[in-house]
Amino acid sequence: MHFPAVVDQLRKIAGRDAVLDRPEDLMLYEYDAGVRKCTPAAVVFPLNTEHVSQILKLASASGFPVVARGAGTGLSGGAIAPEGGVVLAFARMNRILEVDAENMRAVVQPGVVNQQLSDNVAHLGLYFAPDPSSQKACTIGGNVAENSGGPHTLAYGVTVNHVTGLTVVMPSGEVVHFGGKAAESSGYDLTGFFVGSEGTIGVVTEITVRLLRRPEQVATLLGIFETIDDGARTVSAITAAGITPAALEMLDGWTLRAVEAACHAGYPLDAGAVLLIELEGLAEQVEEQAEAVREVCFQQKAREVRRAKDENERALLWKGRKNAFAALGRLAPSYYSQDGVVPRTKIPAVLQFIQGVAQKYGLRIGNIFHAGDGNLHPLILFDPRDPAQLELVQTAGTEILECCVSMGGSITGEHGVGLEKRNLMPLLFTADDLDVMLSLRNAFNAAGVLNPGKLFPTTRMCRETTGPSTNPVLAAEGM
Amino acid sequence: MSATGVSLDVARELRAICGDKHVVKWPERANSGTEQVGWLAKLEPGSGSPPSRPIGVAPASAEEVAAILRIANERGLRVFPAGGGEACVPLREHADLVLNTARLSEVEHYDHADLTVGVGAGTTVAQLNAMVGADHLMFAADPPSPERCTIGGLLVTADHGPLRHGYGGVRDYCIGVRFVSGDGRRAKGGGRVVKNVAGYDLMKLLIGSYGTLAIITSASFKLFPAPRATRTFLAEFATAIEALQFRDRVMRSPLSPMCLELVSPGARKLMRPELISDIWVMCVRAAGSDAVLARYRKELGSAITRELDGDSESKMWRAIEDFPLRPESESLWAPQLRIHVVVPPRDVMRVIEALEKAKWGDAIGIAMIGRVGVGHVLATAWPINLEVPWPPGVVVDELKKSMGPGVNVRLEHAANPWPIAPANLTSMQAVKHALDPNNVLRGRSLV
Repeated sequence: MHFPAVVDQLRKIAGRDAVLDRPEDLMLYEYDAGVRKCTPAAVVFPLNTEHVSQILKLASASGFPVVARGAGTGLSGGAIAPEGGVVLAFARMNRILEVDAENMRAVVQPGVVNQQLSDNVAHLGLYFAPDPSSQKACTIGGNVAENSGGPHTLAYGVTVNHVTGLTVVMPSGEVVHFGGKAAESSGYDLTGFFVGSEGTIGVVTEITVRLLRRPEQVATLLGIFETIDDGARTVSAITAAGITPAALEMLDGWTLRAVEAACHAGYPLDAGAVLLIELEGLAEQVEEQAEAVREVCFQQKAREVRRAKDENERALLWKGRKNAFAALGRLAPSYYSQDGVVPRTKIPAVLQFIQGVAQKYGLRIGNIFHAGDGNLHPLILFDPRDPAQLELVQTAGTEILECCVSMGGSITGEHGVGLEKRNLMPLLFTADDLDVMLSLRNAFNAAGVLNPGKLFPTTRMCRETTGPSTNPVLAAEGM
Repeated sequence: MSATGVSLDVARELRAICGDKHVVKWPERANSGTEQVGWLAKLEPGSGSPPSRPIGVAPASAEEVAAILRIANERGLRVFPAGGGEACVPLREHADLVLNTARLSEVEHYDHADLTVGVGAGTTVAQLNAMVGADHLMFAADPPSPERCTIGGLLVTADHGPLRHGYGGVRDYCIGVRFVSGDGRRAKGGGRVVKNVAGYDLMKLLIGSYGTLAIITSASFKLFPAPRATRTFLAEFATAIEALQFRDRVMRSPLSPMCLELVSPGARKLMRPELISDIWVMCVRAAGSDAVLARYRKELGSAITRELDGDSESKMWRAIEDFPLRPESESLWAPQLRIHVVVPPRDVMRVIEALEKAKWGDAIGIAMIGRVGVGHVLATAWPINLEVPWPPGVVVDELKKSMGPGVNVRLEHAANPWPIAPANLTSMQAVKHALDPNNVLRGRSLV
């Protein structure tokens, strides 16, 4: 089908004003929070599951690729459409459909912003646990696609641990329901399998999430260290002491100075590193743990351990952490954020490696990360107007991820593979591993209509072309 | 393959892969009822004579598993995986090979400072807990018979015990899995770190798949610090409604117990036949210091009638984990059949009412326990009047009638764990075809 005819069809399905195809409008949808760009052919804003179903039927019949998009805050290029692709934007499907406080569940549309859900149920003493740093903007649909994390997932788990049911539209347009409000469902755990599949299997249109009860007491501590090594060793020492904090975040000295300049969070300007440690639960338990954590910090040569006196101080400390990426953005035109994971005991070693990479390539790299689960976010500053810098930055990022994998870790803890890390998948997975995953993708999305070119390496794989595609975009993507 | 068993050629090939000692023929004489057949597996209770005499094979590595499955695919054999004998082989169906995972018992990694461990699928839950317990760590699954229950069996059945309330199910702390797909591909999902979203979450697909997609060869888990001290608070109630009101009070409180278990009067009598009073008991297990436990006491208030610690506490929880195990000599029929029902927590009372109705007056005995804070009820049913139909069938019918056709019911130790067809059968069939296109694993009986 000629593309203008596709746009006409999309308007018939979703409404005249619900489709964008002018270049100046499309530019807004050519990027996410990562470094890749590609302008889509159109953007369509469905209003309901039926719209999504009709759009996917049209896509399957016409052979154009479709990429679902929440708020575009992803860091791996997962929501970027290939050339000729249509972005399915969920800005209009942003309603909280039901709050079932008795069963501690909510049913939401994918465009609901993460923070809005917690705000909406706060009066019931409930909240939604996954809390990515972008939670004021990112959508729950995007969280489901990427299996997003956040600081507090150390104690409570990532998105998949908080989703019990999904309504999904398959590439054929068929609407299926996985799970529900019950904690377990009969048959295969397709809900669990779907979460984190990066939009390559189906498009989610309704999500049933688990809500948690707000803790009685929260203690937020700031452990201040002279060296990054001391801070890093403290992370595994806290765990070894039998304490699982709700969150355990680390900022290196260089990063915290940049954050302090931007946010005035109260971080010490002369420290080598700080640990932001949050303890939650029963008051008695929190007080005991806070004392135990203080002891561990001092045993590991902490210079000082501060405790937020009230909610304002706590909010300020977290404001610094959650706005750190933006704060570093003040120092350079752009940054490249990595998402490697290592076993927590390897944090000191990998931080030394990152320092070495920075020196080797003459790059500025800040470290601000989820230390408690070993999930690193080295931020490499650069100027994207200089292609040579971009290449250098990507080389440095790859070396860091290779190091993480060599230490028994992973290339991504919460951002997803997307476009950015697809060719690093062979670091972790054998050809057979990837072949099994591809056969599962092809079981649902054989023609590659949904989010082509993501997650799987573009290097040739034995069954990559299973379910031959006539789509030139897929061919161009090496698929 | 013929109904009398697989060919001598196949046996020869299997011996070449695993060694003579690890390939056995099914005994000529197989009794009805339960019978342990060497290391092979346990026959499904009450199944009568098996229609086929499968060969038992016990591979020692993922390579050997892959080689066995390649033969099975080439020759159209039907393979049933078996762990510690807890997951019975449904011999009403045709089986050519029983693949026993007992020899897949290596420790792949144990990083105690990182609170992670990876072990072979044939490792038992008790072995794993003994290993990590020495470092004051805990593997958070407490299925029945941990001395026999293997990690592979635990994963494919997604079984759980009372710790399910406070620590989640095995899907929440399994961080990686290695397996051989039905079509013989050796593959993995996840890894060894506690946070990892690279690639599809294949752990979720395999957990609870009842061995229909792949043979799990090893898995990695997140561990938890073992609690230094625990105490159990017991509250007794005349009715289930009152017991569930107490549950609601606990759920709305700031408390976060490790376990929150309901024990019905019938279950209490099964566990301790000397007890005669018809009371419902809520068992709240808490971990922490004296100050924390004192806070539990204060919050739970006058509802608490007894407290347990030490040996008496451990014994009580072990009885709940093993429910409804009892000496097999006492059994009239399958005494260990467990019927799991999982619903939104507010619907638990309706499940209990449906189970009460399923008693057919007093013709069927029913006992139940459950992790009711997460909406789980575990029942067992046995005939009192021997004229009644198969009790689990009656229970499932009543649950369907009362809760609707979509109610989530899972049977343990039965040929079909999903007596009510899952709603997503088409999607499940697509997954099955992707990993086991020749239906080698358990045939097409479930999916």
